Formats: sequence, structure tokens, C-alpha cells
Amino acid sequence: MTGHAGKVVLVTGAGRGIGRAIADAHAEAGAAVAYLDHDAGLAEEAAAAAAARGVKSVAVAADVGDEASVNAAVAKAVETLGPIGILINNAGISPKSGSDGKRARLGEMSAAEWRRVLDVNLTGAFLCASAVVPFMRAAGRGSIVSVSSVAGKTYCDIVGVHYAATKAALIGFTKHLAGELGPDGITVNAVAPGRIDTPLMRGTAAEANEAVRLATPLRRLGSPEEVAQTCLFLTSDQAAFVTGQVCDVAGGWLMT
Amino acid sequence: MIDFSGKVLLLTGANGAIGRAIARLFHRHGAICVLTDLDEVGMADFARELDPGGRRALALRQDAVHAGDAEHVAEAAVARFGRIDALVTAAGLYRERLVGEMSEAEWRQSIAINLDGVFYSCRAAIPHLSEGGAIVNIASMAGHRGSYAHAHYAAAKGGTLSLTRSLALELAPRIRVNAVSPGLIEGPMVQPLIARKPELIPNTPMRRLGTAEEVAGVVAFLCSDLARFVTGETIHVNGGLHIAS
Repeated sequence: MTGHAGKVVLVTGAGRGIGRAIADAHAEAGAAVAYLDHDAGLAEEAAAAAAARGVKSVAVAADVGDEASVNAAVAKAVETLGPIGILINNAGISPKSGSDGKRARLGEMSAAEWRRVLDVNLTGAFLCASAVVPFMRAAGRGSIVSVSSVAGKTYCDIVGVHYAATKAALIGFTKHLAGELGPDGITVNAVAPGRIDTPLMRGTAAEANEAVRLATPLRRLGSPEEVAQTCLFLTSDQAAFVTGQVCDVAGGWLMT
Repeated sequence: MIDFSGKVLLLTGANGAIGRAIARLFHRHGAICVLTDLDEVGMADFARELDPGGRRALALRQDAVHAGDAEHVAEAAVARFGRIDALVTAAGLYRERLVGEMSEAEWRQSIAINLDGVFYSCRAAIPHLSEGGAIVNIASMAGHRGSYAHAHYAAAKGGTLSLTRSLALELAPRIRVNAVSPGLIEGPMVQPLIARKPELIPNTPMRRLGTAEEVAGVVAFLCSDLARFVTGETIHVNGGLHIAS
């Protein structure tokens, strides 16, 4: 009914958290899923769990910031599952290397950390899209969803400037590619999660998360599954005329 | 995946192209549909066609500009079905007029139907909306980007977007409130526009008009539990026209 049956989905950062939930939701909707993660063990575990439920799946270990690594991973996914029709750019990092245990502020952030965040969060999306779009073009259809953040749209005290910059860049990436790839029948959208209960989030002080909860109109943190359902909607036939959209999944937090 | 079995939908402007598509989709997902339109006869005919037994559809007359009508249909929905789970405001009026040539009456009529009407319907539904319920207001790309020769319409739709966010704040965490902004959707409403600006279709990244069914699919998503952490959001259904130059 959602049009996912038989489609091949590649999800980056699929070993845990939001990525795992997105991958699992697509699997449940009938898609074959490539679980890509930089942690081979997590990717294997997630893919094996899906396989045990009867899902066609494969684990691919890759560093999304590295072109050769991405190309090898995509080749393995295609060889195992077939041409990729849906790409979810989810892999992301948000280092908390500041002297107070929070994100580094400008002045204490190293250029190496800045570049690493750009490589994973932004260049990773470019490299993955570059590798999979030829398959989508050949099929005359496809969809790409990138996981941005409300921190890419407005100031958010919890994250560093590198994270905010990459998440904002993913919005430009999404809108531009929606224009460029629309004529090929490919939709390109993004989700902008608010505060979601994930392993990444638990690296943040409890009081900071509580402050966000209180500032969120729905008065709670979101779940990875809730982000996954919006991604699943954006890659479904139901959203066939939706492209260039950034959809907050934030419980009304900031309403950017 | 979406199951509206037993859920009560109150839909305004339900006899328009988009309204009918929303009604059909919700009905197919199991919803009980309270359908209102200014065109009472047409609405009743459509409701009979949708649900010949009449157990899951009720057609009522509603003039969007009258607060009393909004109260009446909300009360009638509750009297018949006990509550309202989803309110979708699809009533609207789209007329062409340059601001310099616009009469006060034309301005007021557009604001009354396209903005006051949304306020009346939301206000009337609030006491009856069930916990976990949802409101979806049909806005328009015009509300985001302006619209040549439709300033009154665009202003009302922009107002609807702000009303939506404000309601999201007021009604959380009990009820979610979102908007859908259709772009160029197949039907008589867009024909004069396409005739004047045929380049709109090639300028749309998806290179085509949308369908009323495609708008309905997004409305259904926002009303469903799949979107239970989504509130105060607006989803464009325009094939990417809002990001095109």
C-alpha cells in the first residue's frame, strides 16, 4: 500500500538510533534494506535481526566521508539486493569535546574536528547520493531523505557550530537536489528532528534535555520510531508529489 | 498502515476536488466522515455516493463565513458520532484581482472564507476534539510566496499558517495542528493560471501538476499516529515548485 514492497533502501548510520529505526521501518514496509554503518558489528547485528524477521537485508561497513569506502559499500549493497531506489542520509556525528563536557565552542574547536563533522554529516550525503542516483535515474524514479535537524534552522545550545552548519547545509543540499533531480522522477526531502531519545542524545546532560522537553509543546522527547515514520511517509507513494520539503519531527519545538 | 477505523473526521469544503479526495481516502481508511460544504445538494449527493448506507458519512451545509454554521456542524457531528478526532479545513475561495482594482468587499470576502472560516471551525471543534486528535488546515503555496493577482487569498493563507502554529502551541500536548500547502493541483481552479503562465509546469521540478489524491495522502499522514510527534509543521505538496525559481 505504501509502495515500499520490493524496493531497495540504503540507510546510512543504520547500526543504531534513528538510522536503525528508519531502516527497520522500511524493512517492515516490505523493502530490502542495506544497513550501512561505520561500525561493522552494529551493521551486522541490525541486518541479522532484520534477516531473522524474513527481511532481505545486508550489512555494509563504510565511512561515509570516504569516497572509496562509500562506492565499495554501495556496490556490495547493489550486488546483494539490487539497484537502490531509496537513500536515507542519516549518518551523523555531534562531538561533545568541549572543556565542560559539552560541545566545543568556537576557539576550542579544532579544525580537524570541524572537518570530520563536515565529512561525515555533509560530504557523506553527497558521496552517497552521487553513488546511488545513477540507479534511480535508470529506473526513472527514486527518493532521497536526509536527516537534518532543527539545529540546522535556528540556534540550539546543545550542538556545536560544525553540527549546526552541516545540518543547515543538508537543507540547501535537499532543496537543490530536489530541483535538479525532479525531472528524473526522484524526490528529495529532509526531516528535521528535534530532541529524540537516542544514544547520541544521551551524551548530553540530563538537564539540557529536560529544558528542551519543557520547551517542546508536546512536552516530551521524540522517539527514533517517530522520525522513522515521517521518513517512511516521505519515501512512500503517498508523498509522490512532495519534494524539496523539510519536515520537522520535533513536537512543535521551535517551529522553524 | 493508516487505520482510521472508528475515527470521526470533520471536513469543510468537502465537495471541492481536494475535499472529495480527502473524504474518499479517509473513508477508505475506515473513518466516519462528517462532510460540510456551502453546496448542500452537491454535498449530500457526494456523501450518498461515498457511503450509500449513510452509516459513516453525514453531509451538512456550512457557509465558512458564518461562525454559527461552524458551531452547528461541530455540534451535529458530536450529537451523531460522539466526538471529533480530526478536523480538516478545506473550504476556500480563489479569485483573481489586482490589489489596485480590489474592492473592500472582495478583500473581506476572501479573508472571511479563507481565514475567518478556519478560525470559526477550529474554535468550534476544540471542545469536542478527542485526546490525540489532529487539525490539518489546507493552506497554499500562495501563503508562503505571495501570489500575483491573488493578494487577498495569499494574505489569508499566510494568516492560516500562523494560526496553525499558534494553535499548535495552544492545543499541545493534547491535539496536534499542522498545515498542508498544495501547489498547482489538477482541476478547474488552476486552469486560468496555467493558461497565463504555461511555464509553471516546466518550472516545477516534478514537471507536472499534482492530483487531489496526492494532497489527501499528506493530510491523512498528518492526521494519523504516524505523525504523532509532528505539530506546527507545514508540508508542501507541489512537486518542488516552492523551491523553484
